Amino acid sequence: MRVGVEVGGTFTDLVAIGDDGRLQVTKVPSTPARPDEGALNAIDSAGLDLSQVEDLVHGSTVATNAILERKGARVLMVVTEGTRDILLIQRHNRRRIYDLFYEKPEPVVQRRDVIEAPERIDATGAVVDALDLDVTMSRIAERLETAESDGDAYGAVAICLLNAYVEPTHEQAVADAVRKRFQNQKVTISSDVCREFREYERASTTALAAYVQPVIDAYLGRFGEALSARGHRGRFSVMQSNGGRLPAAGMARSAITALFSGPAAGVVGATRQALRSGFGNIITFDMGGTSTDVCLVRDGQPDLAAATEIDGLPVKTPVIDIATVGAGGGSIVWIDDGGLLRVGPESAGADPGPACYGRDGQRPTITDCHLIRGTIRAETFLGGTMQLDRAAAEAVIGPIATQLGLSAVEAADAAIRVAEANIVRAIQRISTERGHDPRDFALLPFGGAGPMLACRVAEDLGIHTVLVPPAAGVLSAYGLLASDFVHFESRTHQVRLEAVNEAEIGGVIAEVGAAAAAHLRDLGLEGEVGLKRSLDMRYVGQAFEIPVDLGDRGPDELDTDTIRALFEAAHHRVFEFDKAGGSAIEIVAFRAGAAVSPGAQPDLSGDAAATSIADRTAFFERGRQHADAPCTTRPGEGVGIAGPALVEDGTSTILVADGWRGAVDSAHNLILRLEEETTDA
Amino acid sequence: MPDTALNPVSAVDQAIITQALIAAAHEMGVKLIRSAHSTIVREAEDCSSAILDARGNVVAQSELIPLQLGSIAHTFGPCAKITPPETLQEGDFYITNDPYNGGQHLPDVFLFSPIFIAGRLIGFSATVAHHIDLGGGAPGLNPNATDVHQEGIIFPPSRWNLDRDWRNDGALQRMVRANIRMPDHTIGDFEAQFAANQIGIERVRDLCARHGTDRVESAMTGMLDYAERRMRAALEAVPDGTYHGEDFLDDDGQGSGPLRIAATVTVKGSDIAVDFDGSSPQVKTNINSPFASTVGAALSVIKSALTSADLPFNTGCARAVTITAPHGSILNPIYPAPVRARLLPTYRVFNAVMKALAQAVPDRVIASGYDTTYACCLSHLGPKGYNIYLEIFGGGYGAGPANDGCNAVDSPLSNCGNIPIEAQDMAYPFFRVRDYSLVAGSGGEGRHRGGLGFQRIYEITADNVTFAAYGDRFDIAPEGLFGGAPGGKAEVWIERAGEKVELPSKTSMPLLRGDLLVVRTGGGAGYGPAGDRDARHTARDLTDGYILA
Repeated sequence: MRVGVEVGGTFTDLVAIGDDGRLQVTKVPSTPARPDEGALNAIDSAGLDLSQVEDLVHGSTVATNAILERKGARVLMVVTEGTRDILLIQRHNRRRIYDLFYEKPEPVVQRRDVIEAPERIDATGAVVDALDLDVTMSRIAERLETAESDGDAYGAVAICLLNAYVEPTHEQAVADAVRKRFQNQKVTISSDVCREFREYERASTTALAAYVQPVIDAYLGRFGEALSARGHRGRFSVMQSNGGRLPAAGMARSAITALFSGPAAGVVGATRQALRSGFGNIITFDMGGTSTDVCLVRDGQPDLAAATEIDGLPVKTPVIDIATVGAGGGSIVWIDDGGLLRVGPESAGADPGPACYGRDGQRPTITDCHLIRGTIRAETFLGGTMQLDRAAAEAVIGPIATQLGLSAVEAADAAIRVAEANIVRAIQRISTERGHDPRDFALLPFGGAGPMLACRVAEDLGIHTVLVPPAAGVLSAYGLLASDFVHFESRTHQVRLEAVNEAEIGGVIAEVGAAAAAHLRDLGLEGEVGLKRSLDMRYVGQAFEIPVDLGDRGPDELDTDTIRALFEAAHHRVFEFDKAGGSAIEIVAFRAGAAVSPGAQPDLSGDAAATSIADRTAFFERGRQHADAPCTTRPGEGVGIAGPALVEDGTSTILVADGWRGAVDSAHNLILRLEEETTDA
Repeated sequence: MPDTALNPVSAVDQAIITQALIAAAHEMGVKLIRSAHSTIVREAEDCSSAILDARGNVVAQSELIPLQLGSIAHTFGPCAKITPPETLQEGDFYITNDPYNGGQHLPDVFLFSPIFIAGRLIGFSATVAHHIDLGGGAPGLNPNATDVHQEGIIFPPSRWNLDRDWRNDGALQRMVRANIRMPDHTIGDFEAQFAANQIGIERVRDLCARHGTDRVESAMTGMLDYAERRMRAALEAVPDGTYHGEDFLDDDGQGSGPLRIAATVTVKGSDIAVDFDGSSPQVKTNINSPFASTVGAALSVIKSALTSADLPFNTGCARAVTITAPHGSILNPIYPAPVRARLLPTYRVFNAVMKALAQAVPDRVIASGYDTTYACCLSHLGPKGYNIYLEIFGGGYGAGPANDGCNAVDSPLSNCGNIPIEAQDMAYPFFRVRDYSLVAGSGGEGRHRGGLGFQRIYEITADNVTFAAYGDRFDIAPEGLFGGAPGGKAEVWIERAGEKVELPSKTSMPLLRGDLLVVRTGGGAGYGPAGDRDARHTARDLTDGYILA
């Protein structure tokens, strides 16, 4: 049996797939103070015999929450002399230019906890000033010992020295000396975490990595013991933000990769489920209570970003490239002081929640608007487990409708259109702005609220196909099981793309790939290692590199002409201009991702399905009242459905909009198409 | 409430098109930065972008550099006057950097590209970028210029065609290339501007295809009306009255003594007027503010202090605002006064207007900060030509009614990032940054403390290096508000062979290999009496070394 346990902010989801392919889904409330309790509750509640579980994959918000709530370890930060304030000065700019009361993102290391090492290396890796290890160690020892005796010991030492991405020996020498003298001290060095230039971003990543490492170690240690005590002997692995997993032991070296693993798992689950129906190019769209995450997947591979940020602090580590907008079911509908209709980013959250939840919510939300339009039905919401108060929803939308000169149902419909437009813009950010035409993709909605907006969001993007997977509410937990073991390596190494450098370029490509593969081997993983490579490249003189995907081509298949062609195509796609042929091009960073399959991956299947569509309902949508529309639970394979219609699918409702029709296929996905296209086909 | 009689766009279309146009302007800015060549654009992000309607009103803009944004419509006007928009053709563009024709200072070159839908002009996409070197009397920055011609080449407001005049070594491109010192960088930055303008054109075309050209045009008008309504709603909340504020620049760089900037702010109903009568006459050095810059600064402070954060800033906001400055004053100089350091007087515009508003809305203002652009330029002439480093430094923000001032951040009218030390190490082999840290004790005390300034120490590692810079607040510290103490002053010196050589705020001089150049920017002033400060905050400041024991 294979088990995925995903701890989210509100719910902990468990998906268990038996050797017979039977799917078991369990949802229990999360326990934010001690997330492992919620995870164990889910296991107990599912009645699983852990001794029969050969593969257990876990995703949690532990790392994310430790940073957001500033509950990580006290970190002693060691930097090059003269750069003590690197974490405070940051990039000298502001994110909100007209905010007079502006405050910078707060670092996780305080100024009092930063010390300087006399040393300097230049951009070529040459030593300008030799490291004074004695002075550095005496400063570190004094701090560690004083803190210990004051009862406020440091949980970690982070080291980030200038230009260590080229030449890490000074960082390594300090780390070795600390480990030798203070044997249980955790040490994190920047050249292990991120081999790339721009010192603030690297220092921030290193500080965050050190800050969460002790928290993750303690958490996984405790959880692993609890699993063993319940008889688990199989493999225990943990999800990362790059969409791959690592054996729990691997997290001891790279806890920072555990940030944002939940949304990443959702994308992995969606990707796998879409591939089963033959769709490699999809845009995923996960709409929850407070926000919507969108991601672009090409040829069955989610796009990766080289960096992300948390709480305004940069994290330079590859992550699945997910854009988030503040548009969820709980987003507040309002009119601003200029008379413009707005949705979000403020959310009613879990408390009070939408007005229709009857918990004294006084402001209308998107969920209230759905109830007013009839696209959520009070009697069947969340499988009928929750009572909704339609009168309360109408009461709070009233003033907005009056101000706009519309009826309540028209105002609700307008608000949902604004929410749809917000999501369209988020998807444009990851598609159009990156040089990808959304019309080349299918839209895959999941999460509780996504499938209600999917058809219209698709239309506004020119997308003609929507794919709704089964069990859309627990796709993240399924994604854990569908993930490979993955590790990324990168190197900043500036080199001109010229034939004379071909051997040098091939050498670095090979070296980075070998390092990524070796990391997985070191963790005891067997099986074939797949390598995906990319380069960060630019025209000489530009500072921002664009990612150039090399796919699975190895150094032998890459001459400079091939790389130049790939770069020029990528540059044109993003910026819509080229420089003259022959303009100098350089490579700045080399990247490689190594992946090992966990073995047979289980499939996701649907629940028992309707064989015919008998019920009718009424709803209002895009300015039209549909008085007698079909309404059903998820139809069985091959049972056609045509919009306007509602499909009530357990934890989510699918709105099949006017002009759309489709059916569930053999992979249990509901495939909807805009009608013209179906007729054409 | 939208006036549906004049504006046929439904509430929902207005909301959707508004957000899409703002997103388009934002995307233009992102792509401009990402594809630019010079460090001043690509790392410091000294550039802006906007979408204009067919009459040249800014309807949407990226949030990058406040001063550049405040006056794009002013800059557009003279272009349209010389070549009327209705005579433009596909591929044409306007260019200008002329301070005496709606421009700011010469490095900020504005490009406007018309957007045609089926032959019909419906608007413009516009970008402005600070170019690293446009010729003139010295690389990057000529602090000794006595007229605007010594500051670089002037593009008068004029119309050109991209294919005919620029691409494939076109005449305009060759003319520019021949007159500047780092042509590869500068031409690369122009290309990035053209490409960003093209993105704006494409996005507006897509929008018109989806929603209809008429509807998009109406929505543009609606955006202007919307911003005006919100601006007026904000002004209604300010008590009517006439308020005065003033601040001073150290000097003109040639020993003039303090230069006064005086603001009279009159709020009446939903209108606000700002007049700068009483400000110093124009000066001989480059510390003059073209009127477009004066307008941009005054609009920025009004927007920052009086309106809510999510009010999109466009020409509609400006309809409620009247700004006047005497011709021949430092805030509205007469040709050919040099203007390169126009940010210095415009910051005192910011301070003077803020001090006036402090009387009206004390909870919405902050104390004076360092509020100065310190432009720091190091250049080197080697065998391969010029290598020019230019960075823009801020310092500490003034404290607010409920917060300490922000430390070591660009000043309010600008928003330049720093150039990472590791990027400098790659690009500039003639110096090495040895220190980049906060200056302890530079924040003015108060119930809330001013932000700290910072220092940079450069070790010069080659001969033939020239240092050029301008700044302010070396003599006159920023004033505290409501009993707060003043912020720390700026200072710059060279350590040469064991000697310390103090430098003035505006300077240019050759440096020697082995020199240490120390640049310290100032802190912000405090808000409220220091005696009211929470003792825990003082204790924390001591432990972390933000204040001196």
